[in-house]
Amino acid sequence: MTATQSEQKTVLIVEDHALVAKFYRMALERAGNFLCVVTEDVPQILADVEAGRVHVAVLDVSLANAHWQGRLIDGVELAQLVKRAAAAAGRSLPILLATAHAMSGDRERLLAASGADDYLEKPVFDAQLLVEKVRRLLAG
Amino acid sequence: METFIQEMKRYLGFTEEDAALLRQIGPRMEKYLPELAERFYSQIRQHPNAFRVFGGGDAQIARLKLTLQGWAKGLFGGGYDQPYSEERYQVGYRHVRAGVEQKYVISAMGIVRAFFSECLLLEFPASDVRLRYARAVSKILDLDLNLMCESYMHASMQNLRALNEQLERANRDLAEASRSKDEFLAQISHELRTPLNSILGFTKLVLDGLTKTPEEERELLRDVFSSAQHLLGLVNDILDIGRIEAGRMALHVDDVDPRHVLDSTVPLVTIPAAEKDLELRDETHNTELPLVRADEVRFRQVLLNLLSNAVKFTPPAAADQPPGRVAVRARILHKPDAPAAHSGNGFLRIEVVDTGIGIPEEKREEVFEKFVQAPAGRRYGGSGLGLAISRRLVELMGGAIGLENGEDGRGTLVWFTLPLASKEAAKLPPASREKTSTRAPA
Repeated sequence: MTATQSEQKTVLIVEDHALVAKFYRMALERAGNFLCVVTEDVPQILADVEAGRVHVAVLDVSLANAHWQGRLIDGVELAQLVKRAAAAAGRSLPILLATAHAMSGDRERLLAASGADDYLEKPVFDAQLLVEKVRRLLAG
Repeated sequence: METFIQEMKRYLGFTEEDAALLRQIGPRMEKYLPELAERFYSQIRQHPNAFRVFGGGDAQIARLKLTLQGWAKGLFGGGYDQPYSEERYQVGYRHVRAGVEQKYVISAMGIVRAFFSECLLLEFPASDVRLRYARAVSKILDLDLNLMCESYMHASMQNLRALNEQLERANRDLAEASRSKDEFLAQISHELRTPLNSILGFTKLVLDGLTKTPEEERELLRDVFSSAQHLLGLVNDILDIGRIEAGRMALHVDDVDPRHVLDSTVPLVTIPAAEKDLELRDETHNTELPLVRADEVRFRQVLLNLLSNAVKFTPPAAADQPPGRVAVRARILHKPDAPAAHSGNGFLRIEVVDTGIGIPEEKREEVFEKFVQAPAGRRYGGSGLGLAISRRLVELMGGAIGLENGEDGRGTLVWFTLPLASKEAAKLPPASREKTSTRAPA
């Protein structure tokens, strides 16, 4: 393992709109030198979290393809699952909730329900801001 | 009420002797009753609302006078029990309903009282017997006044209660309307932010110098362009829904040639269908179709919405499968499936059939609501308003819209109907026209 590889952190991106996911990936890779994993595959996500293959997560709230135990789940529930899986494996995995739910009260409600660490309101368009948020979460 | 009467009788010191006295003078008072009624109502007619109150005219006043005479006659029955009291209640209600305020009836009752004193003076000049009679009449009038006030109070309480219920209902309706407005706003805000995210995000990536090659920049520009188009579609849909819900959707209905609409609309989905290797077929191609009554622009909008849905919800085929299909069909309905309100010239039914993911039966009503996509969340993009708009547009044009299983239970069949132009009715075979206009006796 080279020095660069060990410093490079991996961001898990869960977002059902392909173009939005594409933007997150480009922003985090180019402005933050992060590695990115984009997926809605819940078992895969939990396996990655347990194995420590991802270090921080950016989750959308409205998900179209995240199945768990035979039903669709949203980002709030996914955040809970991820937090639990990380804790069970003795890791901590900070979560940034990024969502287009932007009515008053949504932020507090969604943060409380999901257990996520931070919250970003869409449209998220400043790559630098996104990178800073993620770095701050990684720094704890 | 019985209890109330007993209470009042005790309160006013009403005795059996009083009752007997009243029964004695009763027959001699009868001849004064028409004049009494006359005086009573000429007093009531001074009421500021008299014009409204006695809007029924002389006939109504004549009826009221008779009621009053009946009541006054009852005064001398001396019993004052259930039947009389109920009658008194009714008189009270009638005045409440007529809008005569209580204070005016009370003052008119003063007239009654004064008039009875005059009558007693005329009938019984000997003072000792007249005083006893006057006391008895006075007690009975007091009791009557109490009863009347009670009935007024009862009636206005009922009015108030009904008014309260109305207000509560109106309040609930308002709260409900405001809640669904909030939800609508939250949904719209959510939908607008997604394409904006791509438009602003990709633009800023380029501006911040985070792209690597001109090719990449062009690619992002294409993404920005498609997101902006999506945004425009959303804005148009939201405006349409807004207009429809405000009842301000203006349609320009005319005789429209469906052939022309089909030929200019189906090609619009050729490219997206080809991108998924779907077979797109207009089975009405080259056939003549009857004119319909429709707003041509809205007709096209509905058809395009259904075609886009069909293409959107039909996945490209797997390697060993036949390609997905989207087909358009049309037929004339002599007996309309749907709106009975239509005069019955018949309908043109247009169907869009696909071999896509289909819609479960229990969701077939739901998908016509705003922001609902079946079966899965928001995987397919779009405003989620298309079918809601289409339904309202078709209904505004006098037709109907619905969903069925596609062929062989696979995929979806969406149909909508439009009324035939009146000149088309003449062309229908007579037998079939009869079917719609008459019902065979059983």
